[in-house]
Formats: sequence, structure tokens, C-alpha cells
Amino acid sequence: MKKYPRIIIDYAKCPTPFDCKKCLVACPQAIFEVFPVKVEKFKETDKKEPGTYQLSTFYLDKCTACGDCVEVCPTGALSIDY
Amino acid sequence: MCWMCEAYGEEGKRWYLNPKNHSRQLYTIKRGRKESAYGTDPETLAGLEQRKVTAAKWEDPENFPQLLKEYNEKPREGGCQVLPLREAIQVAEMAYPIASMMCICRKMMRADEETNPDEYTCTGLGVGMFKWERWPERYRGGVNIMSAEDAKEWLTKMDKKGFVHMIMTFGGSYVGGLCNCDYPDCAQIRTRLDYGLEPALMKGHHFAKVDYDLCNGCGICVQRCQFGAIKFEVTTDRTNIDAFRCFGCGLCETACPRQAITLVERETVPALKEEW
Repeated sequence: MKKYPRIIIDYAKCPTPFDCKKCLVACPQAIFEVFPVKVEKFKETDKKEPGTYQLSTFYLDKCTACGDCVEVCPTGALSIDY
Repeated sequence: MCWMCEAYGEEGKRWYLNPKNHSRQLYTIKRGRKESAYGTDPETLAGLEQRKVTAAKWEDPENFPQLLKEYNEKPREGGCQVLPLREAIQVAEMAYPIASMMCICRKMMRADEETNPDEYTCTGLGVGMFKWERWPERYRGGVNIMSAEDAKEWLTKMDKKGFVHMIMTFGGSYVGGLCNCDYPDCAQIRTRLDYGLEPALMKGHHFAKVDYDLCNGCGICVQRCQFGAIKFEVTTDRTNIDAFRCFGCGLCETACPRQAITLVERETVPALKEEW
């Protein structure tokens, strides 16, 4: 069975992924996704407020473990296990 | 036959060109159900169900083929289908109101923020547009309501940019959205191409065919294809389109400077009839 990489996200070091968006833009395989976790009806979620959005590795089977995301991450929140 | 047309078409009309499916009445019926809280609306639930299957590819590779088979075989309700620009324009003549808005896929995939009408890429259809301001927590709220003429121009602009047009329902047959998107950022295109979830995105009613006498091998169409169906064939110095990979979006047709590509009805060709 094919082995897939794992990208470990340290959420404490990644408080505002929608505002930062460096890994989302840099990934050549577009495997990341960001979604709101704090939702208030009738109110747009503030992307600058820590903890309102969360990063996930949605399409991990497409990850080549190239390390571009680790390189662009300004807080060292990402690491690759392969 | 296209199952959506079978379920929601009428008198040989395509489902999305059947005025009944644009009826305000349907929206009322749909809204008559219990008010959905964030995360429990039909769109999100369908997305989560798809996600369970796609994530299994790397989380649970052994069971992925079985999960995929079950997903593709289960009864469907509503759906999403590719359509060419000329039919998108027919929809613009039929749907009211019609509005441009931000794309949720690009927001999630590339943290792309479409904050004003110049940046919008998605199209919403029907009375739901009047209420869009109510969901800023999901869609940023704003929509840009357009006249039918402006909408046609807008769809043509999206086509020029190179976006695939897709039409979709939100629960049942109610036609609610006309996306303009691309690979890899469109969740529907990606879910179908990379994972094989057929209900996520159905092929359109056409496939593209090259006239080898008119084609001069300029290659403009090759870069327009989002489905990997077009190759430049060095041997013949012409474009080659794989009809089985083609989704019938017609982006190659609208870009060809020599009108060498035509869209042929899928159902006129025996082996493509059931290729959706």
C-alpha cells in the first residue's frame, strides 16, 4: 500500500492562517484548506482574531513532501513526517 | 441519459433549461424545511460526505475503493454539471435574479479574498440572492445583482479568463448556482478528477471535436483545458482531444481562432451516451 506523507500542524503557532495564507498560496499541489471554526450568525468572521480560522491538509494524498510549506511558514508551525 | 435530465428535465429540455427548476416556488418549498444552522445546510452536509470519501484515500487507503463505490452507487439528489458558455447564457436569460459573488472554493483552497464585484468569480441564481446578506459568516454577504445583459457579458468575461462553467442545485432540482472555476481550486472538479466521485461533478451534454482540416496546431486550446483532455499531437501537428476525458465545457471551442473545434452532443455518439 502506498505511503502518504503527513504534515503536522502546530495549531498554537498557527493562530491566523486565513490572514497569513503563505502555505496555502505556496503549495504547488494545493493540498491545504482553511475554514472558519468560530462562527457567529450574521457576522463575518474576523480573520485577524487568533483561533477563528483553522488550517487543514485536505488533499494530503497529493502531497509530495517537498517542504515548500515548511520553508514559507513564518512561525515554524509546520513539519513533515514521511 | 443524463440522470439529472431524467429526474428534472422536461420534453427533451435539459434540466437547467427547464423553467420549472428556476421557479421561486421550489425555493419556498425548500425553505419550508427546518431552518438550517451553520454547518447543517444541505450544501455543507454534501461536502462533508464527499470529504469522508476523499480523505479515506490517505487516511484509510484499504477501504477507499469500497467507500468510493458506495458513494457513486447511492441514490442521488441534486447535483452539479459542466455546461458550455452558450448554455450558461441561456440560463442567464431564464434565471432571475442573477448575481456575481465570491467563490467559496477559492477562499478555502488559496485563502483568496474576493471582496468586490471586480474580483467576484461565482454566480448565484434565484431569489436566494436577495437574502444573501444574511450569511456573512459563510459568504462575506455581498452579492452584485446583474441584469440579464450584464450577466451574459460577465459570463463571457469569465469564459475568456479560462474558467469552466458549472451549474448546480441546492437540494432537489432548484437551480441555485453557476460556478466559474478551475483545477485545482474548484472542489467539484478536483473531487471528480482526483478521487473519482461521479456525483460531485457530472460531465456536460457535449464533447469537443477537432476538425483536422481547419486546425493548424497553434495550441491555444491546449492551455485552456482544465480536465487534461487536450494534448498537442506532435505526429500530426494538430490538437488531439480525448472525448472520454472531455467534460464538454467548451473553453477550447471559444478560444480557437480558426473555429476548428465544435461541441458535439454526447448522446449522438454510441459509446459516449452513458459517459457522464
